[in-house]
Amino acid sequence: MELCFDVKNLNLWYGEKQALTNINMAIESNAVTAFIGPSGCGKSTFLRCLDRMNDLIEGCRISGAIIHQGIDIFSKAQDIVDLRTKVGMVFQKPNPFPMSVYDNIAYGPRCQGLKDRKKLDEIVINSLKGVALYDEVKDRLHDSALGLSGGQQQRLCIARAIAMSPEVILMDEPTSALDPISTNKIEDLILELKKDYTIVIVTHNMQQAARISDYTAFFLLGEVVEMDKTDVIFNTPHDKRTENYITGRFG
Amino acid sequence: MQIDNRCVKRNKLLDRIFSWLFLAMAVLSASFIVVIILFVFIKGISPFLPGYEYGQVDLLAFLTGTVYRQDQGVYGVGFIVINTLIASFLALLLSFPISVLTALFIAKIAPKHLATGMQSVVELLASVPSVVYGVFAAGVITKIVDALATSFGYVTYGGSSLLAVILLLAIMIFPTLTSMSITAIRAVSPDIEQASLALGATKTQTNFKVVLTAAKSGIFAGAILGLGRAYGEATAVAMVAGNKLFGPTFNPFDITRTLTSTMLVGLKETTGLDYDIRFSVGLVLIVVIFVSNAILNAVKKRIGNQV
Ligand SMILES: Nc1ncnc2c1ncn2[C@@H]1O[C@H](COP(=O)(O)OP(=O)(O)O)[C@@H](O)[C@H]1O
Ligand SMILES: [Mg+2]
Repeated sequence: MELCFDVKNLNLWYGEKQALTNINMAIESNAVTAFIGPSGCGKSTFLRCLDRMNDLIEGCRISGAIIHQGIDIFSKAQDIVDLRTKVGMVFQKPNPFPMSVYDNIAYGPRCQGLKDRKKLDEIVINSLKGVALYDEVKDRLHDSALGLSGGQQQRLCIARAIAMSPEVILMDEPTSALDPISTNKIEDLILELKKDYTIVIVTHNMQQAARISDYTAFFLLGEVVEMDKTDVIFNTPHDKRTENYITGRFG
Repeated sequence: MQIDNRCVKRNKLLDRIFSWLFLAMAVLSASFIVVIILFVFIKGISPFLPGYEYGQVDLLAFLTGTVYRQDQGVYGVGFIVINTLIASFLALLLSFPISVLTALFIAKIAPKHLATGMQSVVELLASVPSVVYGVFAAGVITKIVDALATSFGYVTYGGSSLLAVILLLAIMIFPTLTSMSITAIRAVSPDIEQASLALGATKTQTNFKVVLTAAKSGIFAGAILGLGRAYGEATAVAMVAGNKLFGPTFNPFDITRTLTSTMLVGLKETTGLDYDIRFSVGLVLIVVIFVSNAILNAVKKRIGNQV
């Protein structure tokens, strides 16, 4: 088993308030890892650590290490742009840029200096095909992405991440703003994508975690209570708190 | 229950009173605008009608004329319209990048204290009366223009020139355009900025490619407002334009004449046709502004929809 992230003694504070406490976690490559837990327990905060998006938040302090490809991503040796091109992120609310569908997907590669039109065309088309959106939008590649439906926008955002050929895709409740049909499409897509990418997904929806993930981590009050293979967490959890949460006794 | 009912009734009455009040205000202000335009229109059109007391003026000659000399009774505003358009557009062109970059700096890049300070300065600049800009232009800008002209081997009329007007207007547009751009940039959703950074874009790439793109509609609205200010500014412009008698003026070191300066200069010392014709010039200015706004708004809609 190959490790994608090895998280060691991670603590995180927003100002004085500690949001993550002593997290140790191994995230496996080419698998889907799900984070579950009640709101406010630190799932998003932890997810953002993995591509250092917390750097943008004022007053946020971190201790500990996250080893990715042999280096600690918080160390000086880690180039942040490099990290973010290898670790893509999909947000809770679809957030396409106010540009054309094409420009949305070409944005990442262009920022890395890619100008070759043929190459860009290829990337755009492959990325759209990769999220099963190409047939729906092939006639309006140059229309505004804001004209797409919510589900299409979210798939576009996934395509935009894929266009960078990342190793990892982080998803923060990617279906919570979508209708059931769009949600199904995205879930199918995640199962498809896991062949090529490591996927870490925060979800509010326990059935979703059970359906799509290989590993599940249960968060509570900034700590990881338990992490194991998904069927273990859902069928034979070791911790009483996990069991209570899974069986819907709180949440 | 009874109390509830009474409250509902009173709210309804209050509601109705307020909606009448608002309507009255709207009608009042709308009728002011109509009265003003009507007044300018009637006064401005009168010299071109048969039986005008100081001798009917030919409308076509007025609109296409390239000479404006009250001493000879020749009134042509064609070249003045062109002068006005040139001065205003070039001022906007000059002010635009400076204003937008300043706004970006204040809204996104500068540390908080500096940003707050700079924004207050911009707001202060917006409230400086135009006559103050005028004396500044007459005292400082003209000197600079004159020195510049000398180094190019030109002789100016004490620095009064097209270039001085452009620089002055660029300065006067700056606060409006900058404030509007700051507002537009601040209104950009942080979600798309995060999306950009998460894709490995740098802060600078994010600011230019995503933030400015998302804010462009608001920035463009600021440009339209700024252009309106440039068209309409009279006092300060009249102090450095030089009021050339013919044109149009293309040489930046030559004196020029705008619609506003034509209307203003000597207004108090004149009567007869020379007085009335200023209303005609005002009418032309109103038309120029309407047409230009209509065109720019159409453009704005285009770039807004295109995204
Ligand atoms: N930018 C922030 N500044 C301060 N506190 C924050 C910030 N983001 C999240 N928090 C706090 O950190 C805790 C964890 O939040 P979050 O990671 O969003 O939880 P989850 O995603 O599990 O719902 C919450 O108590 C929340 O209030
Ligand atoms: Mg969250």
